Amino acid sequence: MTYTTRMDPKGPIPVSLFFTCLADAFSPGVCSATVEVLERFGATVRVPLSQTCCGQPAFNSGNRKEARAMSRKFLLSFPDDGYIVTPSGSCAAMVKHGYPVLFRDEPRTLARARAVGERIYELSQFLVDVLGVTDPKSDFSGKVTYHDSCHLRRGLGVVEAPRKLLRAIPGVEFVEMEESDRCCGFGGVFSVKYPQISCKMTERKVERILATGASYVTAGDLGCLLNIGGLISRIGYPVKAIHLAEILAGGTGGLSSFAADAASEDTRPPGTVRRAGGR
Amino acid sequence: MELNANAFGRNARKALLDKTLQEALGRTTGRFVAHRDAAAAAYPEFEATRERASRIKRDTLDHLDTYLARFIGEAEKRGTIVHVARDAAQAREIAARIARDEGVTLAVKSKSMASEEVSFNEALQGAGVTIIESDLGEFIIQLAGEAPSHIIAPAVHKTREEISRLFERHLGEPRTDSIPELVGMARKHLRAKFLSAGMGVSGGNFLVADTGSVVLVTNEGNGRMGTVLPRVHLAVVGIEKVIPRMADLPTFLRLLPRSASGQAISSYVSIVTGTRRAGDPEGPERMHILLLDCGRSAILEGKYREILKCIRCAACLNVCPVYQSVGGHAYGWVYSGPIGAVLTPLLVGLPEAAALPDASTLCGACADVCPVKIPLPDFLLELRSDAREQGLKTPGEIAAMKGYAGVMKRAGLLEAIERIAGVLGQFFTKGKGITGLPYPFSGWTERRDFPAPAAQPFRKRWKIRRGVTR
Amino acid sequence: MNERESLFRRLSAACGGHGAVAGEPLPGGASIAPEGDPVARFAKTFTAAGGFLLRGPVEAALADLGEMLRAEGVTGLFFPEDDAAAREIAEALVPFGPFNLTTGAEVRGGSAAVTAGFRTAEAAIAETGTIVETSAGGKTLLPGLIADVHVSIVPAASVVARMEEALAAFTADPPRNISFLSGPSKTADIEQTLTVGAHGPKKAIALLLPPERAEQE
Repeated sequence: MTYTTRMDPKGPIPVSLFFTCLADAFSPGVCSATVEVLERFGATVRVPLSQTCCGQPAFNSGNRKEARAMSRKFLLSFPDDGYIVTPSGSCAAMVKHGYPVLFRDEPRTLARARAVGERIYELSQFLVDVLGVTDPKSDFSGKVTYHDSCHLRRGLGVVEAPRKLLRAIPGVEFVEMEESDRCCGFGGVFSVKYPQISCKMTERKVERILATGASYVTAGDLGCLLNIGGLISRIGYPVKAIHLAEILAGGTGGLSSFAADAASEDTRPPGTVRRAGGR
Repeated sequence: MELNANAFGRNARKALLDKTLQEALGRTTGRFVAHRDAAAAAYPEFEATRERASRIKRDTLDHLDTYLARFIGEAEKRGTIVHVARDAAQAREIAARIARDEGVTLAVKSKSMASEEVSFNEALQGAGVTIIESDLGEFIIQLAGEAPSHIIAPAVHKTREEISRLFERHLGEPRTDSIPELVGMARKHLRAKFLSAGMGVSGGNFLVADTGSVVLVTNEGNGRMGTVLPRVHLAVVGIEKVIPRMADLPTFLRLLPRSASGQAISSYVSIVTGTRRAGDPEGPERMHILLLDCGRSAILEGKYREILKCIRCAACLNVCPVYQSVGGHAYGWVYSGPIGAVLTPLLVGLPEAAALPDASTLCGACADVCPVKIPLPDFLLELRSDAREQGLKTPGEIAAMKGYAGVMKRAGLLEAIERIAGVLGQFFTKGKGITGLPYPFSGWTERRDFPAPAAQPFRKRWKIRRGVTR
Repeated sequence: MNERESLFRRLSAACGGHGAVAGEPLPGGASIAPEGDPVARFAKTFTAAGGFLLRGPVEAALADLGEMLRAEGVTGLFFPEDDAAAREIAEALVPFGPFNLTTGAEVRGGSAAVTAGFRTAEAAIAETGTIVETSAGGKTLLPGLIADVHVSIVPAASVVARMEEALAAFTADPPRNISFLSGPSKTADIEQTLTVGAHGPKKAIALLLPPERAEQE
């Protein structure tokens, strides 16, 4: 296990988990996997249960009043120190970049938002840049391709960290897809407001994924994976969408919620299929 | 141009089903993006030049009163007549008056997006002027009687067969399937017009304040033709196109062709200053510049000032996955893609174009390529918020947001709902995905599944793990 | 005047400032040193822009030039009356066609002949492969405008490294027209297929004259 110079090697690394409303409700395995990985590398993980939603859907759709209400609660839900780590690039970006916009006319909340924003990290970013992890010590195996979710890549500037981690897993055969940073068409409310355009974009992303021959597509944003995975599931393509946290944690299977929805070819290596509701 | 921005959704769906358009869009934007990326990569100072251009434009806009005044003074010193139009109606009136005063019956026009804003051609036609578009794509569309719908390639949806048929019917030319021959036909026909036109009409890529010059950047050469041969030259340009000094021009020339089509430089750059001088063998005797406000000064005043930095390169269009999917026509006005989604509502009023800021996933690809670093995604977010403030959102959306925020206010309530949804979800879908979501989410499940809520949300799992009982 | 006043009232209210701000030095720009020999660089960039380069001295290039013009179907050659170098080359080229001499005025009058227009460049820009022509001193732009083939005579000494140098001479009091010409006229408006010769010349040729030759003129 490696430590960065910033940490006290003898002490625990305090991390508050920001588990996101989407994963909480639809893919809790992602949250559990995030905890598992953080604890593997010396974090003491607290989970403030008063957290609900960072307000991103309201902010993105222009409903700033509701977004502010949720954001204020978010800011109150986390302690004043320690790291805040989330398996969602878009949620981290919301706090870092969206909150200063939301509270630009409220100096005190703005100050608190900035302070929290400085302590918030997406999971792979935290592992590589803060903890200095070079090998996630995962037993995952399979051919994997990676989708650069827009807010993780352009919002947070996280490009190499997920790739470094994936490449370090012995069982993973990592392959880059073409247009890895092209939007998958989710865009939150966009996928529901303009579903036909959204689907066209998702189809193009899935084409690129299939062209790699990978068995798994992964990303640091659950919204993207539900979008891509939803198309894959409907058509029955031989590839599974799995969150980065679950690959890093190890084991096999797809997103818990689609676990029972097997493709025509069984591309899953032998192992447990994680079912929602149990670990 | 007629405004139809709020029909974006319907027009986008139509565009998605148009196979010819889809093929053409894919080919065109793919090529432009690849060339642009290659050109940027091959130019080591690209990023530094972007920053420089962004700052020059910002400085100019912050002092536009000074720079524009200087431009007008310098232009007038050298014989140029400068007009100012507050709005489209005034612009049309001035254009018609110029044509009548100058006795023009035939005008040849090179591309001006700003002139499209004010329906310039119709104004001139109303004054008895035959006006011919000379940009090859615009020329083709004009023959077809269609409105130009794409900034970068107005005839992108036309096949060579269709173009040949147009040339046969309107120009009396024999049918051919050779593109060079078609280009040659247009060249021959338009050459005759250039040589006999009384007035050349152009846009303006840049206005140089220090010298009162208008700068035209083209590849075809039609801009040059129209500014050298006819007796009168009229340039129609937005007030925001000013740059301070001639020495600033190379910075923008390094960015515009690369960003637009991946060229290190376009075939022609013309810097025109004033009228024919004593001893000049050719050149316009009369030079008019029609400066358009048309909503720009209002933008300058507000939080969207930086949108006026735009140099109309269309890089944001080319790289936008939404534009690539639906093309320009769906945006319903002169400007499309990310720039259109911001500029149209600002120029025509948000109520007339509220559909446009929503037509984006906020992926940020546009901001990455904008040569003058306009924060387009930030502006889209801002416009969406403005829409709420101006009462342009449906009661359904507002109620849904209020409900959603209401639930998120209390973690306990959220957990209760999650657990009920989880039980029901697992019962009805038996571990598989949901194939049909209710309105307003039904769009998702037309072609995609959605997961059922987990039987046990994470917060419940965590409590169990921690041994917390309720 | 009224509309202008009200515009400036609106602008002043929006800007609230007077006079340009010097500010911090800007990144990029002419401060970055150009690389290598400008003439060699110009040869590369002019070709990259779709132009064809011939190297002088004139006698050595005539045969190739004649062949290129014949291949384009050129019959008429014209040049500005006050451009001695252009005249010399056009006249020397006549037997290589055979070509006949015509004038810009005839071409402008609507002559259907395929023509080559000859003109000495006022400058050439290595950065972009650009020929610079201006109307300064009453010079004509017709050879690069309405000919089917444009032949630029480029003395090696006229090649500058960057656009800034080319513009510097004209900043204080620009002539009516400064033209940057980089290769032939191009369009891709039909089926996105790149075609040359939209409205300007279909072919751009630069005759690069070595320094000794230029001194002799």
